[in-house]
Amino acid sequence: MKRSFFQKHAIILIVYALILVLVVIGAFNSEHFLTLRNLTNVMRQAAYLGTAALGEMMVILIAGIDLSVGSLVKLCVLVSAILMDGDPDNVWMAVSLTLGLGLSVGLIHAFLINELNMSPFVVTFASLFILKGISLSITTKPIGRASRDFLMLYSEKIAGIYVIIFFFIILILMMMFLLNKTIFGKHIYAIGGNLSVAQLSGISVKRVRYGVYSLCSVLAAATGLLWLMRMGVGDPVIGNGLELNVIIAVVIGGTSLFGGRGTVIGVLGGVLLLTFTDNLLVILGVSQFYSGLIKGLIFVAAVSLYKMENR
Amino acid sequence: MRESQNPYILEMRNIFKSFGGVNALRDVSFQCRPGTVHALVGENGAGKSTLIKILAGALLPDSGEIIFKGQKHQSFSTRKALNSGISVIYQELALVSQMTVAENIFLGREPRKYFGIVDKKRLKIEAKKLLKQLGFEVDMDMEVGEMTVAYQQMVEIAKALSKNADLIIMDEPSAILAGHELDQLFLIIESLKKRGVTIIYISHRLEEVFRIANEVTILKDGQLVGTKPIKDLSRGELVKMMVGRTLEEVFPVSFNQLGNPVLQVEEISTKTILNQVSFNLREGEILGVAGMVGSGRTELARAIFGADPLTSGTIKIKGQDVVFKNPADAIRSKISLVPEDRKNHGLFTKLSILNNITLPILSKISRWGFTDKKKENEIVERERQIHSIDMTSGNQEVQYLSGGNQQKVVLSKSLQTIPEVIIMDEPTRGVDVGAKFEIYQLIRQLNKDGIAILMISSELPEILGLSDRILVMREGKIVAELTPNETNEEMIIEFATTNTQQSVP
Ligand SMILES: Nc1ncnc2c1ncn2[C@@H]1O[C@H](COP(=O)(O)OP(=O)(O)OP(=O)(O)O)[C@@H](O)[C@H]1O
Ligand SMILES: [Mg+2]
Repeated sequence: MKRSFFQKHAIILIVYALILVLVVIGAFNSEHFLTLRNLTNVMRQAAYLGTAALGEMMVILIAGIDLSVGSLVKLCVLVSAILMDGDPDNVWMAVSLTLGLGLSVGLIHAFLINELNMSPFVVTFASLFILKGISLSITTKPIGRASRDFLMLYSEKIAGIYVIIFFFIILILMMMFLLNKTIFGKHIYAIGGNLSVAQLSGISVKRVRYGVYSLCSVLAAATGLLWLMRMGVGDPVIGNGLELNVIIAVVIGGTSLFGGRGTVIGVLGGVLLLTFTDNLLVILGVSQFYSGLIKGLIFVAAVSLYKMENR
Repeated sequence: MRESQNPYILEMRNIFKSFGGVNALRDVSFQCRPGTVHALVGENGAGKSTLIKILAGALLPDSGEIIFKGQKHQSFSTRKALNSGISVIYQELALVSQMTVAENIFLGREPRKYFGIVDKKRLKIEAKKLLKQLGFEVDMDMEVGEMTVAYQQMVEIAKALSKNADLIIMDEPSAILAGHELDQLFLIIESLKKRGVTIIYISHRLEEVFRIANEVTILKDGQLVGTKPIKDLSRGELVKMMVGRTLEEVFPVSFNQLGNPVLQVEEISTKTILNQVSFNLREGEILGVAGMVGSGRTELARAIFGADPLTSGTIKIKGQDVVFKNPADAIRSKISLVPEDRKNHGLFTKLSILNNITLPILSKISRWGFTDKKKENEIVERERQIHSIDMTSGNQEVQYLSGGNQQKVVLSKSLQTIPEVIIMDEPTRGVDVGAKFEIYQLIRQLNKDGIAILMISSELPEILGLSDRILVMREGKIVAELTPNETNEEMIIEFATTNTQQSVP
């Protein structure tokens, strides 16, 4: 009756097996691929997608969706660049106000979903356009400037690893802890698994929603800050279509769109798979135009594999 | 001094509740004494579940008040009810299927260490202790969705017990339990009573009500009929109060015209639990399958229906070897299944009654891909009468029907395709006494048209009263084949629980 270890973790094994396949293909086709330099680069890129994806994952786990992630990242890049304006004294102010902006957006999402009974799809779809609209009304050209030391963080290292990767690892550990060890985490799975049961068990569904949507938006804001760190300016093209990449990564990682099922390790796999794909395309010199096509195919392949194993 | 004190732990006063146009409860009042078992009975749709949902804070009453432990409440929230010591076993099981047994038992009240961190070790130990108390050993890490409904029911009971409540409400906890599990449940109820816990017990099995209840409250059409000490009532009187008329509880007789074997099962085994199961089912026959929880009855149904793959053995339909890769294959061979778990396997709860019933025959009643509304309505009206489904219209969503009425819709749905073999897994689960006998008539009637029926049931009176032959299962095997007039409940339980084996042809 009980499922074996292999069956239980089949999804994750599949994702990581696919990653391995990519690595092998990469290694055979380019001598640059398996270099430490390239691999750390991939990890650093993975942190960008991954930070946003871990937030989205929480939302999807409670059977919600957040479509506004890309637009919020865009707005946060602009806002943080404008606030920082190249001045080292502004860094803390800019960082905290940007994260505060993310928090408020998340709280508004949860408020509309909780108190006005609107569907997450509608709320965050509207938010996608509103936030994008605000961003483009601020500017259509690069704007603002990161301070020098903030920019330096991009290439700085702690104990031999890039700051960004370090941050990402901490974030992963925190998320794993949150989901597996805390009551908040258990309640997230319960709400996604069966909303009415969660309610009948006396779980405060609203409070969990406030927490989850804020967390998702704060992580999007953090992603915006990471982008500023990389670009040095507030570029309004950042974040275009990001929400879709994020959702694809979460779903490839074995998170059920109906909620209640999904793991951090799985999502990490999804993120790495997408990042490796992009990296490989660049290294093999394939046009970026094929990137969407290939990701779409991986998406379908992964999801159909899960369906087969769940049969 | 004592005299002036409130002798009741719970009073519900003048409760009204309507859903749209439906008056589910009209001016219902009743009281419970502490440390007693108070039964709540009534036909399907009488308002029993609605009443206890109000008590549990899951629904708000339109008006009326609740006095619990001397405190007056206009209404409860689920939290408030839990905190003041009320715990509920809901009729439609309230478990999260993706979570483990232990997690479900403590959902919403997880033991914590500090900073909201779950104490996983304690969670498992406590859960294990509770289930052991119920005489039940399961893997604490198993996901609830992988268990059969009967096991889930035991988890639900453990969950209710874990809350150390003063009032435990049980909405049809026994509908799918039999023999040993039922005895265990009653033992627990006895011991709870001794500890001063009050129990509200809802059931359609009246023999249980007579066995454990001190008092009984009867509801009919959302109104109170009365509250009586159980010893002042006979079964007939109780039925009369529930149904409004005297009811003859007789099983329809067999037509005794058994034809050729339609379904031949030869030594089938599965990965689940089935081990070399063989039997024949003949035209016009009702073959009853009895057994304990976990004996493999549901798995047998699933295997025949193509839902679980066979590891060995063969199935023949009318002498022809068949292999069902999935349920669709089985349906094509005119086999139909009335599943045990109506919420997950039997119904589209968010669709209307009409859509549910006509779904299996849509292609037959539509033209050029358009459905024939008039015909659909006719069918639903016909089915409503046959099964006496208590509904406002065919457009009502199934989720808003009472539990017993949902079961009637499941039955009606699976009979639409005119099958040759019907496998019924707990066909009268949660159905009231009156309707039950109507369903028995209907099942017999199907026989007359040559349809063969494999009926899995935990209700031994039903197995004994209706079957032409009885199979008893234990640990994935058939351990006895009996004829109803040469056996009795004790004998069946004996076979289902002990190791003696009777030769099986
Ligand atoms: N959420 C709802 N919306 C609309 N109608 C409802 C809802 N819940 C219950 N009803 C209706 O209220 C009436 C009482 O239902 P209830 O579930 O209390 O019956 P019950 O006595 O528990 O029946 P059963 O024995 O079948 O479980 C029924 O007519 C039912 O259709
Ligand atoms: Mg009910």
